[in-house]
Amino acid sequence: MLRHLFKLIWNKKGTHSLLIIEIWASFMVLFGVLSLIAYNVNNYLDPIGFEYQSVWNLDLSHNQDTVEVAAKIQRILQRVKSYPEVQSVSRMSSNTPFSANQMNNSVAYNKISVLTDQYRSDENMSTTLNLPIIAGRWYKKEDMVSKSVPIVINSRFKEKMFGNENPLGKLIKKDDKTFFKVIGVIDKFKAKGEFMTDAPAMFEMISSDNDWDSNILIKVKPGTDADFEAKLVKDVAVMLPGWGIEVSYLNESRENRHKLTLVPVIIFLIISGFLLTNVALGLFGILNLSIARRRGEIGLRRAMGATEGKVAIQFLGEIWVLAAFSMIIGLVFAIQFPIMNVFDIASGIYITAIIAASIIIFLIVTLCAWYPSRQASRIHPAVALHEE
Amino acid sequence: MLLNYIKIAWKVLLRHPFYTFITLFGISLTLTVLMVLTSFLDHLFGPHYPENNRSRSLYIANVLQTDSAQSSMSSGPASFNFLKKYAKSLKTPEKVTVMSNFSFSNTYINGKKIKLNTKYTDTEFWEVTNFDFLEGKPYTIQNINNGDHVAVITDALRKQYFDDGSQPVVGKSIEVENIKYRIIGVIKGSPVTRIYTYGDIYFPYTAPKSNYENKGMRGSYIAIVLAKSQSDMAAIQSEFDSGIARIPNAEISDGRQFTKLVVKAENYFDHFVNTFARNDSQRFLFYAVIVFVILMFMGLPAINLINVNVSRILERASEIGVRKAFGAPSKALLWQFIVENIFITFIGGMFALILSFLIIYLINTSGWIAYADLTINFTVFFVSVFVCLVFGLLSGVLPAFRMSKLKIVDALKA
Repeated sequence: MLRHLFKLIWNKKGTHSLLIIEIWASFMVLFGVLSLIAYNVNNYLDPIGFEYQSVWNLDLSHNQDTVEVAAKIQRILQRVKSYPEVQSVSRMSSNTPFSANQMNNSVAYNKISVLTDQYRSDENMSTTLNLPIIAGRWYKKEDMVSKSVPIVINSRFKEKMFGNENPLGKLIKKDDKTFFKVIGVIDKFKAKGEFMTDAPAMFEMISSDNDWDSNILIKVKPGTDADFEAKLVKDVAVMLPGWGIEVSYLNESRENRHKLTLVPVIIFLIISGFLLTNVALGLFGILNLSIARRRGEIGLRRAMGATEGKVAIQFLGEIWVLAAFSMIIGLVFAIQFPIMNVFDIASGIYITAIIAASIIIFLIVTLCAWYPSRQASRIHPAVALHEE
Repeated sequence: MLLNYIKIAWKVLLRHPFYTFITLFGISLTLTVLMVLTSFLDHLFGPHYPENNRSRSLYIANVLQTDSAQSSMSSGPASFNFLKKYAKSLKTPEKVTVMSNFSFSNTYINGKKIKLNTKYTDTEFWEVTNFDFLEGKPYTIQNINNGDHVAVITDALRKQYFDDGSQPVVGKSIEVENIKYRIIGVIKGSPVTRIYTYGDIYFPYTAPKSNYENKGMRGSYIAIVLAKSQSDMAAIQSEFDSGIARIPNAEISDGRQFTKLVVKAENYFDHFVNTFARNDSQRFLFYAVIVFVILMFMGLPAINLINVNVSRILERASEIGVRKAFGAPSKALLWQFIVENIFITFIGGMFALILSFLIIYLINTSGWIAYADLTINFTVFFVSVFVCLVFGLLSGVLPAFRMSKLKIVDALKA
């Protein structure tokens, strides 16, 4: 039966060529969007590595004021620490969690070069964001000596740069005069949200004369409200007239980041919805036409004793073979992705996407072919043969 | 005769309700999406509140600094000084306005935090745009010269800050980052998709923290140039270009090693496209992709529906045979089927129109884009009617042609 069906479809490959191309295109787009979804879900299940609830980001801009900027920022840090509602305060570079800013660079040690996200912060960062230390400790003011800048790295960085060696105490070249010294290791820091892949990251200590980094992360007691926020902004504005002062909440920024991840997924889902609708339309058209043309053949089969079920299965089978044709062509393209690990994504994600896409295509194709096939099976042999 | 064809078409449609439904579904879906898309594009690019003069406006929104080897590049909005020197000095236009890109801040009242999008503008801003003043008036040149702390707010902000949208608020004050601004006017808000005029609160550029004093070429300001009429726009562009060409090299390097400066005054659509496509070949690719996508979007459903149409016509082979035997020319039969197909396409189009109205109403009221004002105006409507026609022809011509060429003998035999 299968060979017979294959022969039927092969003979008519010309007329069905549009439908074959459409099913192939739908398969490829479905594969793409399902890979994206699988990738995002996979990342989401990986913990974010820090706590963002009740953490505020105080973003200062010095605007036209260039006098003693570093000292002014230090005074603000002291003032913010003094409030009873504040649990922990930490200064940070502009690539704060969930922001649109990103700073990365290649860092090299022993001929291994790793592209690393670089963050700058002070000695309170691990408390403010609750970053669990898995080796060594977080840096302190005393660690900042003349030629070495203390850094803390994450596990990914450690794996890529040091493998199984102990990274604590190692010196990495920063520039001609200074070195980075590894003081501690943390687990994960997915600064752009759960949907980010865990990438190598390092935290550099901010020196006391730094007048560039002007973001302050504030961990407040839960339940602190907008009244305190208004008071904070007012006090800072009195201390720093002319400076831009903006307070945002990390959990709101996180939701904005999530929306950004969602947009390409939605666009691709719409495109695949469009293609699948066209596949459905095309299937209905083709089946309707071929059944209308083959009434004699159907009538003959029924007169010779074929049951309704067998006739329906024949037409369904033809359509399945058609879909299988397209999907084999699609698989030839799709299988390249897990084999070559395109975009450095794990093969498991691609394989999941391929299986899911095949199942969806088969389901849709079966659904669309069901009604016309049942119609074909109900053709009365006497009526069909009478017309000839 | 036309009426007869339509009557026949109607009866034929009722014969197989399932396939009629499929055809109508396919047509309506495609046309609905096309109509909503057209409305959206019109919303983004057409002249609407508050930029009703888009057809005679030029936008100077991006400065590109690079060196001849293209080894380093920096691009972004210009500084207030740059635009004052090279845009405000133009002689041909009717008016030139310089304003900042919107920035973020917050205001606090009664234990509530209100997020703000802030904008700094000059006085010409209110003359180039068509903002509706519900209360008060815009700031004047005196306010700018004195550096007054005044502000114009939107009606939504008035409702949020003063809790009562009906009382007049001109003369009251609003506090942002510990500075009190006297409210001088209230405008009807505009959608965020008009990014260059959108904001919650507008200050004169001499108000604090506007950074208009910045030297150098780059900052966060953009300019809109209003021409006296559309025919002037080319002249303005060449005046602007020649002004830029005269900038000395010392100024172009802007403290770094830049040797090339690219900045243009363009109409809104060109400016939008140029954010994606930097040079001519990229622009060509961009347009080619768009045309391909539109063709694909209309063509694919049309082609898929061809088979449904063919089978519908196939059933009536005997009717065709009889008509041909009685001497009907092929052209008359072709005409009949095309009319039938356009008839069914227009039925689908009517459903699509109703659906589009519904979807646009939902988008406008859902608050997904605040102040959204999508409409189905005449342009959108006529484009949609045209699209329906093209669609009907695409899916109808081929089957009609095939059937009208049928031999009488074959038709009557079946």
